[in-house]
Amino acid sequence: MYGWIWRHLPGNAWVRALISIVLVLAIVYVLFQYVFPWAEPLLPFNDVTVDGQ
Amino acid sequence: MARARNRIAGIISVFGELLITAGLVLGLFVLYSLWWTNVLADRAADKDGAQVRDHWADDAPGALDTRDGIGFLHVPAMGDDEVLVKRGTDPAVLNNGVAGYYTDPIKSALPQEKQGNFTLAAHRDGHGAKFHNIHKVKTGDAIVFESKDTWYVYKVYRTLPETTKYNVDVLQPVPKESGRTEPGRYITLTTCTPMYTSDYRYVVWGELERTERVDRDRTPPAELR
Repeated sequence: MYGWIWRHLPGNAWVRALISIVLVLAIVYVLFQYVFPWAEPLLPFNDVTVDGQ
Repeated sequence: MARARNRIAGIISVFGELLITAGLVLGLFVLYSLWWTNVLADRAADKDGAQVRDHWADDAPGALDTRDGIGFLHVPAMGDDEVLVKRGTDPAVLNNGVAGYYTDPIKSALPQEKQGNFTLAAHRDGHGAKFHNIHKVKTGDAIVFESKDTWYVYKVYRTLPETTKYNVDVLQPVPKESGRTEPGRYITLTTCTPMYTSDYRYVVWGELERTERVDRDRTPPAELR
């Protein structure tokens, strides 16, 4: 999978490495900004009130 | 034959890479929960807290502005940080690094009321983790609530290290489970336990010992010095 991505990136090894880093940062950003805030309330780690629900 | 073997190898390697990816994502989620939400929440709480203090300093009308927060909680046993107190215990409130007073299922009393139970909740981990060290609060410790013009000094008289989330009676105006049977001016802190999960709830009860008027320099009461 990662090999496939690497082979399909344009440019020489340096350009590919740079694009890879940008891709990784973009994925981390999307996770922190959208995915984790969405997932967190669905997981039983952080309910602090007594509410009977 | 060789081609079939290559295909199987390819499938296994993709599967392995997916597993590695899942591990990395879970690791990032831990980082998000225990670090990044604290950064965001502390930033929001500092901003809102400064706003409340500015509001007080300006002597603006309306001593009780529930949107900006009603005051600050100081619990020396949990650390030197002050905790902004706002109305409500929805995640939208608590995730900003504050303690919220209950409006539901049992409505909290406010500290200035003649009797009742001032009931608060805050996060144990992440989102500011304002009650992270609740296990360090022992009987006899002070809990101080600071409003615009009064210091309310409470003394802890009972802790309940583990109860279920269905135990809403801990929030009653007279919290019988704490051993008190007479109406009084109580404070109740709730959060989740054990750390990093929320299987149970941790409860700390205190009773008002005295109040002090805030002086010009906002000199804190002896418990905070």
